[in-house]
Amino acid sequence: MSAAAASLAPTGGQKDRVAWLAVPAVGYLAIVYALPLVFLLARSVTGPEGFTLSLFVQFFSDPYSWRVIWNTLRIGLLTTLVCLVIGFPVAIAMARAKGLMQVALLVAIILPLSIGVVVKAFAWQIVLRRDGVVSQFLVGTGIWSEPQRLLFTETGLVLGAANVFLPFMILPIYSVVKLIDPRLSEAGATLGASPLYRFRRIFLPLTLPGLVSGIAFVFSMSVSMFVIPSLLIGDRFQMLATLTGRSFLLMRNEALGSTTAVVLLVLAVSIVVASSWLAKRLGGTQ
Amino acid sequence: MTETASPAFLDVRKAAKAFGATTVLDGVDLAVARGEFVSLLGPSGCGKTTLLRIVAGLLSSDSGAVVLDGVDISAKPPHHRDVGVVFQSYALFPHLTVAENVAFGLEARGAPKDEIRATVTRFLDLIHMSALADRSVRALSGGQQQRVAVARALAVKPKLMLLDEPFSALDRKLRETMQIELKRLLREVGTTAIFVTHDQDEALMMSDRIAVMNRGRIEQLADPATIYKRPATPFALEFVGLSTRLTGTVVEASGEGEVLIDTTHGRIRAPGRFVAGSPVLAAVRPELMAFGETAGENTIRATLSDVVFQGSRIQAHFEAPEDRPIQIESVAGIPGGAVPGAEMALSWRVADTLLYPAPAP
Repeated sequence: MSAAAASLAPTGGQKDRVAWLAVPAVGYLAIVYALPLVFLLARSVTGPEGFTLSLFVQFFSDPYSWRVIWNTLRIGLLTTLVCLVIGFPVAIAMARAKGLMQVALLVAIILPLSIGVVVKAFAWQIVLRRDGVVSQFLVGTGIWSEPQRLLFTETGLVLGAANVFLPFMILPIYSVVKLIDPRLSEAGATLGASPLYRFRRIFLPLTLPGLVSGIAFVFSMSVSMFVIPSLLIGDRFQMLATLTGRSFLLMRNEALGSTTAVVLLVLAVSIVVASSWLAKRLGGTQ
Repeated sequence: MTETASPAFLDVRKAAKAFGATTVLDGVDLAVARGEFVSLLGPSGCGKTTLLRIVAGLLSSDSGAVVLDGVDISAKPPHHRDVGVVFQSYALFPHLTVAENVAFGLEARGAPKDEIRATVTRFLDLIHMSALADRSVRALSGGQQQRVAVARALAVKPKLMLLDEPFSALDRKLRETMQIELKRLLREVGTTAIFVTHDQDEALMMSDRIAVMNRGRIEQLADPATIYKRPATPFALEFVGLSTRLTGTVVEASGEGEVLIDTTHGRIRAPGRFVAGSPVLAAVRPELMAFGETAGENTIRATLSDVVFQGSRIQAHFEAPEDRPIQIESVAGIPGGAVPGAEMALSWRVADTLLYPAPAP
């Protein structure tokens, strides 16, 4: 935290009083979120004779578990990457657009959020079929020699997931880019910096906080998604979240379910923490 | 890149720019000599910042050319122009320290590390901010930010410096200090500079020459004394300094380049060539008017309405039938302790009378 930001913070007494505004939220989260989470954690380290790590030992010694973890990480990273590559330019365009154009873009990004994931996933089922739009397009343009099914493939899953999570990549980047003074790039240009140099030394460092929150949002959501893989790839392909769901709902195996849930939680949290740490390092003096 | 035989260091030729149906710059010519400090002075919307941005390459002109040091730079992007800019908002890089901001341009140009370090040290010294080198620019005051912005632009030794109202965010006292300091800094570095401002005092005080701009045109380009003493147009007269203005009609033109004018305050004479019957605007600067009659010169009578004490001098305002002020500035004070309501004679030299065709209403 810089000196300027620190000096802007309200003085002790006032800050303490304002903090009471968070009490309802904290109370609510404690009851419906933290408490069940503690039960879940406790369940994963409890055996017939009390505390034990045997569930984890058992889980990690099974090669199938490693395949599920790898599936989760791979799909999460690919989805995040697709969202980043598509979302970053869109966020910049949106932040720099003016008037009606900006409103139109914002609506186009936010409106799809009001459509349920299940509806979207079913729509993707139609698009990704062997005789779906994507297949027809790729055959028509000669990229594919014959129609193929994308549904129930990893490509289809990543495409669908990226579609659902894209706004969560765009919006944090957009809100940061919007605050960057366009004069900064002009100042860089008049100092002799090429467009690429300006992007690297001015734009990117200033956008980093938005990039990190976008990545953290999309990654944590895509490693823990349940409905989308269930509908777009099916039971053959398991991720940590779907396995957790199956353990609880189908197999009635609370021990396995709570173990996979904890593994997923640790995975997601550590990636988010690592990315914000990395951002601080890269951000230099920020 | 065409070599052009131009004596001017910066030569802006017929620069024109329109935004939609609005003409912002109406074919402006501007020639600036090497080492000169030229101000673009005018009200907001007169096109001065647009002209500046065109010279910097941040905006493309619809037509016309910009020639710098004999090279046509019209088609060059800003990072190949060697034209430094100090922005009104300073536009310092918020994620960098003071020293990193000053070093930015040199690093972008791939200057050797030793040279960068030496230049940054020198410029931080010049702006008296060596002690704050590693401070974040966000922690600086307005005046300090302004100095860093100037140092950052000067550090790459640009051929030309453009300053876009760099003092407008500073309070009056600090502004005066910074004006003197900027002049000193530019002189020490030996840079040619164009300075955009709407503040006439600032322009008069700092410039070698002033370009008075109005509605996308340069109305007058001259040294500050000429701008003040001999404004070329009614706009330049009104925009720079105070004046008493009288509208009237020429009744008689003499052979010696002098005309006799009927005004609402009586007959006056003024140097100029107009045919009888022309509507004209006559004007005189307040400090050139005196109380009392002067034989052989212009004299009018007016009713005193207000006296304003201004320390070293007083300003006397008179009732005017037209909506134009009559005012005198005098270091001597009001003669005979006249009070508001008193009718007084005011006089000034015929030679000091400025005369223009009456501007269209």
